[in-house]
Amino acid sequence: MLPLSWYLIVSAILFTIGVSGVLIRRNPLVIFMSIELMLNAVNLSFIAFSRYLDSVDGQMFVFLVLTVAAAEVVVGLALIVFIFRTRRDIDVDDMNVLRG
Amino acid sequence: MIDLQLELSFFVLAVASIASAIGVIAFRNAVYSALSLILTLLFLALFYLQLGAMFIAIVQILIYAGAIMVLFLFVVTMLASEASDTELPDRIPWQRGIAATLGLILVGTLSYLLFTGTPMYVASTATHDNSLSLKVAAQGNIEAFGLALFHGFAFPFEVTSLLIVVAILGALVFGRRA
Repeated sequence: MLPLSWYLIVSAILFTIGVSGVLIRRNPLVIFMSIELMLNAVNLSFIAFSRYLDSVDGQMFVFLVLTVAAAEVVVGLALIVFIFRTRRDIDVDDMNVLRG
Repeated sequence: MIDLQLELSFFVLAVASIASAIGVIAFRNAVYSALSLILTLLFLALFYLQLGAMFIAIVQILIYAGAIMVLFLFVVTMLASEASDTELPDRIPWQRGIAATLGLILVGTLSYLLFTGTPMYVASTATHDNSLSLKVAAQGNIEAFGLALFHGFAFPFEVTSLLIVVAILGALVFGRRA
């Protein structure tokens, strides 16, 4: 088997790319995709640990993370569409008030 | 020989997934970003296959690369005219530089900790009863997963259904014509 740290480093790099995406981009859709990227990076380390600890728990957590990600995408995209419908632009720098 | 194949496939997968992940944040057009993310998710599914998590790999392709990304592409094409942020002016001119620096610091710290932090004893605590590989050998991959899901993780699984109901309600509330 390959060393566990290899997988963890790939996971860390993917997570960092996701963080940079959230910091750099101002399109909320791309920011959402970066969040998905971070969730997947964590999933990779869960699966790697599940393999190396010979335990099924990591796979369970990935399964639950998948569900949470699906729910998050549904609500988030509904929010983005709603904001777009009322404001006609989707620059996140302009969304700085909580009032609709 | 097998180790060499494993290493080779690992490096190919690692480079491919990291390159497509960079594509997600580098493309100016949100459609290309979404396609690049689908590619990343497929490469991650291959990683899961390499790690022996067959069921999760299939679910990753079906749910993530299938359902979730289709939803993304729907919204991206719906907002297509405004979805590319080429014209958005840079409010903070040094934002990119700062973000790149912070990203490098983050990945450097994570790698540093992985190599020098408290040594991880990856000694398996699995006994004969809860060893995943033994179960998979005895019952098959999906059976082992399902047994664990409905025995040890039955409560979180039920809570998940509550979460999905809340998400549906939330989408309904926001999707309503105001």
